[in-house]
Amino acid sequence: MILLVAPAIILVVLINAYPLVVAASQSIHNGTLIVTGDFVGLSNYVDVVTSPRFWSAARFTLVFTVVGVFGSWLVGMGLALLLRTRIPGRGLFKILLMLPWVVPIVVSSTAWNWLVGTPDSPLPALAANLGFGEVHFLADPTLAAITVCVFKVWVSFPFMMLMTSAALAAVDTGVYEAAGIDGAGRWQQFVHITLPLISRSTYISWILMTIFCVNDFPTIYLLTGGGPVDATSSLVVLAYRSVFQDLLTGPGVAIAFLMTLVLVIVSTTLYRQIKKVDIA
Amino acid sequence: MTTIQVSRPREPGTRGQWWRFAVLLLITLVVLVPVLATLLLAIRPSATSTSTSALTLENFRYIFGNTDIMLWLGNSLGVTLATVLVSVIVAAPAGYVLSRGRGKAVSGFSLLLFVIQSLPVITAIIPLFVLFARLGLADNLIGLVIVYVGSTLSVATWMMAAYFDSIPHALEEAAWVDGCSVFGSFTRIVLRNSLPGILSTAIFAFLLAWNDYLVALVFLRSSTIFTLPIGLQTFFQQNATDWGSVMAVSVVIMLPPAIIFAVLNKYFSVGGIGGSLAGR
Repeated sequence: MILLVAPAIILVVLINAYPLVVAASQSIHNGTLIVTGDFVGLSNYVDVVTSPRFWSAARFTLVFTVVGVFGSWLVGMGLALLLRTRIPGRGLFKILLMLPWVVPIVVSSTAWNWLVGTPDSPLPALAANLGFGEVHFLADPTLAAITVCVFKVWVSFPFMMLMTSAALAAVDTGVYEAAGIDGAGRWQQFVHITLPLISRSTYISWILMTIFCVNDFPTIYLLTGGGPVDATSSLVVLAYRSVFQDLLTGPGVAIAFLMTLVLVIVSTTLYRQIKKVDIA
Repeated sequence: MTTIQVSRPREPGTRGQWWRFAVLLLITLVVLVPVLATLLLAIRPSATSTSTSALTLENFRYIFGNTDIMLWLGNSLGVTLATVLVSVIVAAPAGYVLSRGRGKAVSGFSLLLFVIQSLPVITAIIPLFVLFARLGLADNLIGLVIVYVGSTLSVATWMMAAYFDSIPHALEEAAWVDGCSVFGSFTRIVLRNSLPGILSTAIFAFLLAWNDYLVALVFLRSSTIFTLPIGLQTFFQQNATDWGSVMAVSVVIMLPPAIIFAVLNKYFSVGGIGGSLAGR
């Protein structure tokens, strides 16, 4: 038994656990990628939580996560409900609608950049023709934040669609027959039967998507680089920029470490849920 | 594709069916705009082209003739296949222990794996980069494989365990009675019946390694060892991007995951693949 699991344990310790210990040490030193630096205690943490950049990144992470989770859930669930009915070519639609999630993020962000990146891109040109004037999708701070969130929803809704479809498939259609006979309308059936029956799976998919959004780097970084200025810098993007652009490991790792603490709590909660029903 | 439909009560008529089809078609077309734009721009003559035909493969001819794309494709394929192989070989036995083992150590290991997969990649990457730089593994494809294996391992082990759970114990127990070792029963009985589970896990590892941007961005510095996603970034110029070439490279990056998904979509596991494409 122990021999079967030994390679996995060794690798997990080496690649996952040990770096966390080193990260903890980096976060209490004022070093760079090359030198360890001096011991500075908790001052990196103090600097981080007193800096406006950190709080604006925390705020953007929250917005990005809330929009990402509920936006992708609403779109994904809507499509899952539509795909549950009898529709010509349903199987093909199911495959096509998964594409935003299957296409590598470097490719979809490139396509989105082509669509909205500059004032002469197709969408801004269309907006100008419709009389909206010059729309700077990625150069205006508010619009850039909205664009990144919409992009995240576009990337993530297939996951929610798949989760919801799997949950709906397990619902016994007999209950609808009974409700229909009792005179319940479609909306009532959805609110009082469907939603409660898929609530556990919904809850799990929300927490999973929360983890995905909080940890997301490429969706944001590839579209805007965290800019304009810091308008779309999430915590992960900020941590990356502190370490690899400002060349200071301390603050960057401190940010990553604060996130790690929060995520340990979130994932432990989720683990308890999943142990009751297997979805992994 | 004509099948005789036996009409059931309470099914909306064919008219409703075609309405829903129209709505779904419209949504799908809007959703796929970025993907379609990528394909179209890749097979259209570029601005500087002398070609008169509407569609052409010259962008592909150009990138394969004049850029390092073959090198990057080789790097991506090598790194991805190595990750898949090592992940499955390490995760399968560990998953077996997770599935069949009992007791505090096993459930603790299971929770540990779960928490690890929810942590931001950036937390581990910064210390690993420092460590690998000392070992000469930083700007190195083998180093990349090691990090990818570490990233896939927790989810891959979980996925394998979930699949083994569905295999009855009786067969193994019979083998043990006949004097077969635990390892023997695992390889001869359990693995042999687990091809779908192994495939799901392999697809997950494939997508994680093939699509990764963040780890490669941090680790790879020399252009000769770029993987495709990092290679693609070299095409973006400050003022004039050659979109024909960019989209042709994008198609090359997009095809393997798209083909795998189209052919093997029944092996796409919701939980596993979800994690593979998120947060990197």
